[in-house]
Amino acid sequence: MTLRPKLLAGACTLAAIGLAVSGALAKDSGFKIMMTPKWTGFPYFEAAARGGKDAADELGDTFVYAGADHADVSLQVETLQNFLTQKPDAITLAAIDLNAVAPVLKEARKDGIVVTTFDADAAQDARDMFVNQMSYKQAAKTMLDCALMDSPDGGEVAFVAASPTAPNHTAHIKFMKEYIANDPKYQVFKVVDTQYANDDDAKSYDVAVNLMQAHPNLKVIISSSAVSAPAGARAVEASGHAGKVYSTGFALPDAIKTYIKDGSEKCFALWNPYELGYLAVYATHLKLAGKLDPKPGTTFKAGKVGEYTVGDGGEIVYGKPLMWTKDTVDKSPF
Amino acid sequence: MSQRLPQWELTLIVLTLAAAAWSATLSPYYLSVGQILYSTRQFVYPGILSIGLAVVVILSEIDISLASTLAFGGVLFSKFSAFGVPIWLAVPSVVAACAALGTLNGVLVARMNLPSLAVTLGTMGAFRGLAFIIGSETGYTSFDDSYLFIGSEKLFGALPVSFLLFLALAIAIGALMRWTVFGRRCYAVGRNKEAAWAAGIDVARIKIEAYALAGGLAGLAALVWIGQYGSARGDNADGAILFVVTAVVLGGVDINGGRGGILGVVLALFLLGTMRNGMGLANIGGPTQTIVLGALLIVGVLRPAIFRAVRRLYRLLTPRPPTHRPRGGPRSQSDYDRRTQGQTRKFAHMTRRNT
Amino acid sequence: MSADIGALPTEAAQKSLGQFALRFRVSGVLAFLILLSAGFAVLRPQFLTPENLSAILSNAAILMIVAAAQAVILITRNLDVSVGSIMGFAAYLTADYASRHQDIGPALVLMPLAIGGALGAFNGLLVAYGRISPLIATLGTMSVYRGLTYVYARGQEVTSNKLPHWVNVLPDMRIGVIPVLVLLSAAVVCVLAAFLRFYPLGRRMYAVGSNPEASAFFGLRTQRIVLLAYLVGGAMCGLAGFLYAARVGTVTVVLASGWELTSLAAAVIGGVSVTGGSGNVIGAGLGAVVLATIDNGLVLLSVPEFWRMFIQGVAIVGAASADVVIAARIRGSLRARRQRGRSGR
Repeated sequence: MTLRPKLLAGACTLAAIGLAVSGALAKDSGFKIMMTPKWTGFPYFEAAARGGKDAADELGDTFVYAGADHADVSLQVETLQNFLTQKPDAITLAAIDLNAVAPVLKEARKDGIVVTTFDADAAQDARDMFVNQMSYKQAAKTMLDCALMDSPDGGEVAFVAASPTAPNHTAHIKFMKEYIANDPKYQVFKVVDTQYANDDDAKSYDVAVNLMQAHPNLKVIISSSAVSAPAGARAVEASGHAGKVYSTGFALPDAIKTYIKDGSEKCFALWNPYELGYLAVYATHLKLAGKLDPKPGTTFKAGKVGEYTVGDGGEIVYGKPLMWTKDTVDKSPF
Repeated sequence: MSQRLPQWELTLIVLTLAAAAWSATLSPYYLSVGQILYSTRQFVYPGILSIGLAVVVILSEIDISLASTLAFGGVLFSKFSAFGVPIWLAVPSVVAACAALGTLNGVLVARMNLPSLAVTLGTMGAFRGLAFIIGSETGYTSFDDSYLFIGSEKLFGALPVSFLLFLALAIAIGALMRWTVFGRRCYAVGRNKEAAWAAGIDVARIKIEAYALAGGLAGLAALVWIGQYGSARGDNADGAILFVVTAVVLGGVDINGGRGGILGVVLALFLLGTMRNGMGLANIGGPTQTIVLGALLIVGVLRPAIFRAVRRLYRLLTPRPPTHRPRGGPRSQSDYDRRTQGQTRKFAHMTRRNT
Repeated sequence: MSADIGALPTEAAQKSLGQFALRFRVSGVLAFLILLSAGFAVLRPQFLTPENLSAILSNAAILMIVAAAQAVILITRNLDVSVGSIMGFAAYLTADYASRHQDIGPALVLMPLAIGGALGAFNGLLVAYGRISPLIATLGTMSVYRGLTYVYARGQEVTSNKLPHWVNVLPDMRIGVIPVLVLLSAAVVCVLAAFLRFYPLGRRMYAVGSNPEASAFFGLRTQRIVLLAYLVGGAMCGLAGFLYAARVGTVTVVLASGWELTSLAAAVIGGVSVTGGSGNVIGAGLGAVVLATIDNGLVLLSVPEFWRMFIQGVAIVGAASADVVIAARIRGSLRARRQRGRSGR
């Protein structure tokens, strides 16, 4: 009977070796993930970074957050280049200029680094996944819904975006115009103007003031930029047009709390940037661990933020808009 | 003619080496030839602008519209690429167009005698507006590969072509300033424009030529930008001008004109580049980097003042036998000269007329 | 414009000369403003409604103060590119303090004045005593102040709901149809103008700007005067930063970045000479109004954003040219006056 123990021993050894080898090949933790926002110091991106860090901690990865202090394309590319040199396993970013970052991101992918974009996409062949807070259509619809809440009878609307070269804002405006033209629910609105404020609050304020002067029958100013919406609300209130003109769009809850509470504004929208960052890092981790292949139709569970399905072109839509109204503005989840 | 500057250049070299050493301690990734060469790409396009600006500043003028000229050039390149124009035709055309913009600056400053800071403040906005108008809303991205060559390719696997272009331009313009009549005249005009005019130098023409040169270099910088970022929009390089000015003044070029050289500017760029690279690799936050670089600029320029203060302190502390000095003011011409010189030196930095 | 004075004019001639020159400098930009407004009014009648004009002035108000600050420094033949950073630093610190001491009264305004003054004084020390070129010194402090603001803020922003109520309400209160903010800015500019014109220290600033060396030989404490100019300028920037925060509501770390060039543009349009020694703060204030008018008019006319930058750039060049032409004309008329004086004797 000496053969069977020998066989058993041999089989056990083989199994052990197999497990060890596969364990070494398929690492599922301890990755180095680096994140860079459009610019640091903006509470929105800081919240996303907190989400990303929590996800990394939960999954046993190291997380590094770095970036320039203002939105500058060449500084962001420089940051990405420095990331590259430090040989991370993955890079996540919110791109300022979708094409300018493409060359360095493509180089990263060539080195086997997983690239995920969130909030603002890069060129499609330069990244593995894009975690979009909402599809542009959904974003457009949400802002229009807020506008309806402000002015159920419709009226003249004007759009405020960051710049004509901001892809997400121009997409929002394009779809909003489409909805207004084709969807009976929104046909009560009429688009009269589009202005640009460069994500600058003083400029947004002045633009809002000038818009109200240029279009005396203006009803709603819709701002895609989270900097412009609160500034617009301020301008409306300061110029005494509260109740006659509304400002809406995406905004951080703290920035518009006063206006919702004093009734001069009724509705703003956003999404949870903490969860956005969390989702981005979680999905990246799953891809690194080989548990997620970003082909259209794949579903996956991302820890505490729920289940998601990968869409076309590697786009993962987070899709949970938050509307800030009198009842919800105090209950911000982040 | 530039003199007594090797001291500043030497200081820059020492500082750069120190910065490199510091960067190596900050991050294990710093010390690699490939990495360092790769990081130079970040500073090529501001570097080319700095070389152009240095020539203008030596003439005791300034030009803050160069970044806008770059944006204009980039957008113009995109138009050429869209029409399928071959690169060997596009580059001279765009450089010429940018030089034309520079000439406009020069004419306004030299012939109409407008203060250059005010003029280029205006043209900064005007040229960028022009870039937006031509570039339209979205900018342009699908460039022909030949357009992207300079900015994106590497020779021998590690040496970026754009860096080579920068070095070549630096050597060329440096030689121009040091060894040609044009260069000598620039220094002369920068030192004392009335004397230069009296000596027969066509001051207006030299200024126009310098501005045109700076404009043309901005056009080349645009070519590098396109290769590096693959995109041309009206807002390209917005805000870069402050970095360019920093590099020029840190390089020892006197803002009042007449002193300094291209070598100093190149060394300053290396210093700034090394510091930014080192801090970036250590993931030091942008704001902290900004403070460090701002402080570096101030301390760098304060160096003579610090020496003076130290010297004065030294003289205060060491006891000296009292010198016999007759009372009642200056008694000789040399006494008087010394007093005058002292006052003049105190306000030399405020005496600029042309900026 | 440094008048080349061969023979010193008589007392009476001096007075009328001074008035004449002063009037001329301001009237240049005033004329430009009137022309611009007339043009817009013709194209869009709603430009001239009191509401719209009030909106323009509100938008210009804060820039007026910063342009005036820049003008004071320009007059001494220096400049300050750190104005935006001073505004941001003062505004953020003040707002942050106020958010934690909600019951603070109008004494709060002393804080941005003090902070701005201190930052400006540091600039002045570097330029006047450190003998650093003003461009370099303020370029450096621009980065340092902005970076310090970041480090202090630690990724936060102060939103309007955290500010004391009176801060939010103050800029919008109106007296008649004119907002308090506009009256405040106009008052500040007028006080500065009076200071420069009538107060000896103010006149000395012009002297220093005209010729720093000569003024030193004349016995003026040039370095101290330059330091004071920067201090005053910095304090005004601090105040402007505070008003900016009160007006817009959300105080971020990047507040007012970019204002250095805008304030310079406003001052230049207003006839303040970059080479020092001439121009006045009222002109700088009007320059700010010109910029706000252009912005407003272009929105009314629905001109695409791109043209705005182009037009503003052209306006600056035009203003600088007008400045030089006027200065040349003044010099010519002064010379003619002198000739007449000599030949008439």
